[in-house]
Amino acid sequence: MRMTVCCLAVLACFSSAAFAQDDGVALVKVLEGSAFTIQGGDKQALSVGSAIHREDIVETASGTVGLTFKDGSRISIGPNSRIEFKEFQFTPKENKLAFLIGIIKGTMLYVSGIIAKLTPEAVKIETPVATVVVRGTRFLATVEGD
Amino acid sequence: MRLLLIAGLFLVSACAAPQNVFVLLPNEDGKTGSIEVHNKGGVQVIDQPHHATRVASVDSKPGAPMMLSESEIDKKWNAVLRSTPLPPRTFILYFRWDTDRLTAASEAQLPKIMADIKKYPAAELSIVGHTDRVGTTAWNAGLSLRRAQTIKALLLKAGLRHDLIDVESHGENNPLVPTRDGVPEPRNRRVEATIR
Repeated sequence: MRMTVCCLAVLACFSSAAFAQDDGVALVKVLEGSAFTIQGGDKQALSVGSAIHREDIVETASGTVGLTFKDGSRISIGPNSRIEFKEFQFTPKENKLAFLIGIIKGTMLYVSGIIAKLTPEAVKIETPVATVVVRGTRFLATVEGD
Repeated sequence: MRLLLIAGLFLVSACAAPQNVFVLLPNEDGKTGSIEVHNKGGVQVIDQPHHATRVASVDSKPGAPMMLSESEIDKKWNAVLRSTPLPPRTFILYFRWDTDRLTAASEAQLPKIMADIKKYPAAELSIVGHTDRVGTTAWNAGLSLRRAQTIKALLLKAGLRHDLIDVESHGENNPLVPTRDGVPEPRNRRVEATIR
């Protein structure tokens, strides 16, 4: 009996680790109106609890969306925006840390998390006109785009 | 006529000038970090709260820092400021020496964690176990994992969904209070549970 419980516990552990892997890099925590993810040619409406994955593009029209990343970094995206999730790594034990997003156009708020605390140079926000390097901070951006 | 035309063009281009702006805000704890905005034209560092730089194009250096009023910022970026997710919150739970049993004071914290989780939309929890530097590194790696799993089990029992929880262990490698090897330090025998 004890053996079975033990096996189940181990299984539960593995499945939660697998879930965490597939679960992407951030979750939608705040949503007003509608927002979408674009993966390849596939466009899907977001809801609170939706996962954002590496290489997704998040797009808004009149809506706004707030996301929290696995390391506690947060961003919120304003109306008429396109944000690209380029790279995210959060494995502090192996010192693998990366946070790279691109603002194609629109408005965004960034609030730093653990990655910026551990390795500030790991965090970059790219835009068509400039790249922002972040040192433990909170900032706003408006980017016109094309 | 030609002058008018030039003036007109100038007005039009002034209106259409790109409004790329980066504004540094104070952190939620009141301190202010900094941002470095760079492109082909050069670099601009912003390290004062509510200061901003404008960038006309990728070839022109980001403009000199200028201060914006808080009311202007609130008005212009109202939508994104309003949609900021709640800040993550970390609870530190302490353990009895060389065991995965919580101290009484920390056990009393568990209901608070459960209550707090309910305030977070699509709440997630990361649980990281740690030990002090008494015992071998290998033993402490195992102990810190057992500590983290104990907390996970207690929270599952209290009704949390298991797919919301990440468990990790850092053994003796990530102390809250750095010590020499072999030194007992109760503050390092801990689990950090962060709600986000």
